[in-house]
Amino acid sequence: MIYDVNTYIGHWPFRKIRNNTPEELVKKMDEVGISVACVSSVHSVFYKDAMEGNTELAEETRPYKDRLLPFAIINPLYPAWKKDFLTCIEKMNMKGLELYPYYHRYDLNCPEAVELVRMAGDLGIPVHLPCAIVNVRQRHWMDTNENLNIGQVERLMELCPDTDIIITNGPSEQIAAKLKKATQGRKGKVFYDFARVEVFPVRGQKTNFQALVEAAGVDRIVFGSCLPFQYAEPQMVRLNQMGLKDEDMEKILYKNLQTLLTEKK
Amino acid sequence: MYFLKEQLKLFECNKVVNWHEHVRDNNRGQLDEEQCDFLVEAAKRAYMDVLVVSRPISGGSPTPEMFRAKNNVVAAAMKRYPQIIKGMAYVNPGYMKESLYEIDRCIKELGMTGIKLYNQYFISDPVVRPVIEKCIELDIPILSHAGKLNTVPNPQPTISDGTHFAEAARNYPEAVFVYGHIGGGGDWQWSLKAIADYPNVYADISGSVYDEGIIEQAVSYLGAGRLLFATDGSFSQGIGKLLGANISQEDKITILNNPAFARYLERGL
Repeated sequence: MIYDVNTYIGHWPFRKIRNNTPEELVKKMDEVGISVACVSSVHSVFYKDAMEGNTELAEETRPYKDRLLPFAIINPLYPAWKKDFLTCIEKMNMKGLELYPYYHRYDLNCPEAVELVRMAGDLGIPVHLPCAIVNVRQRHWMDTNENLNIGQVERLMELCPDTDIIITNGPSEQIAAKLKKATQGRKGKVFYDFARVEVFPVRGQKTNFQALVEAAGVDRIVFGSCLPFQYAEPQMVRLNQMGLKDEDMEKILYKNLQTLLTEKK
Repeated sequence: MYFLKEQLKLFECNKVVNWHEHVRDNNRGQLDEEQCDFLVEAAKRAYMDVLVVSRPISGGSPTPEMFRAKNNVVAAAMKRYPQIIKGMAYVNPGYMKESLYEIDRCIKELGMTGIKLYNQYFISDPVVRPVIEKCIELDIPILSHAGKLNTVPNPQPTISDGTHFAEAARNYPEAVFVYGHIGGGGDWQWSLKAIADYPNVYADISGSVYDEGIIEQAVSYLGAGRLLFATDGSFSQGIGKLLGANISQEDKITILNNPAFARYLERGL
């Protein structure tokens, strides 16, 4: 069983993306053995009113509620963001919050973002912070030139100590090392995926994945594919090469994320 | 637990040539033997039969002494693993006479397979012409660091993209160019379209980027016969993107050990 923390549906404005409807995404998940996926709407990143994308997401994923767990994307600088967030969680039954400060152009430490992330913590809702959707070096000329600002994440963790945070699609071993001190003593947990972490010892004895385990621990690593933007198979190659005992592998494959999404706060 | 068991037989049951890897040097300027050993160990775990390695210098304008030293590191790796490691000679075309001499030394004396250029000059720059002509004379491929970078500002202002390769290929249709790491970051669609009509430009599939569709589009534009399997430090991505691609098994086998490049591997000491 695999729980995937990072998938999308919707049209990407800068390149044709296949398998980007709920039906196609679930079919792809079946092909590669992913049981359940957290999913957000690309439209919420690009529509002026992100809530329109969230509403689409709720409607379109409803037939797949056992497979797709919708995450709300909220722009805390847009009017009615509090109402929208509560609607997503309480009425649409969304399971997480996802933030794109580098697309919606705000500082993660601005008062509105901090209030939103604290609200999520109070409601027991994890906050997903993707480092990027696509690699910055290849972006369209109208796309953002920014990635997730880890310095802002570090401060956010201090300002919102009760909130669970998931960081994906970045150099997780480096980020986990940088945030290790800020992570300690928080009530909220910090999780990382390994979508951009090498497991083969190509540069020396210690692999980047081993560095991630050292910095974060196997209890804080989750599976993230970034489907349908990326092939899922590199993640499966990584799983083969991790060399973990079955108990730890199960944590990474599904237990850590499953627990995070279901435990009572 | 084991994943992709059936798919990975593609690597297990076919010859796999990795056309873009690197060895490193230690603080004494000699081969980092430990890194080399782990690289070969990783290759064995991934069922790779041949590693074609180089040691380019990524910044500034390296002097002949500097690039000769790096090529000696590659030669040491070839000597350490003669059955697995093949070498590519790195030169800085800005030092024309010394580069030509070094190419001769690396190919004829050290048994290397081709040359590797980095981002000191666009591959279409007139400065590079004598180097290209030397490679034509020796019938060796030219692998060049490449990418259409869209980051602002561009940290590598003279990195070659597909349009530079197309211009070089127009000027030298008898040369064999390899566009390095189509997944190495940058607008790969731009470069694939730019080189599509130039049959003497190949591309290796290495790099950390594994965007869904990258391999399918590369095959669509170039054909599998102009693609080379490679990793450039990103083993999981290189293997995974080929396994995940919706192309024929026959095309995958061609990419893993491209017959058009077999003759280069048959040479050497």
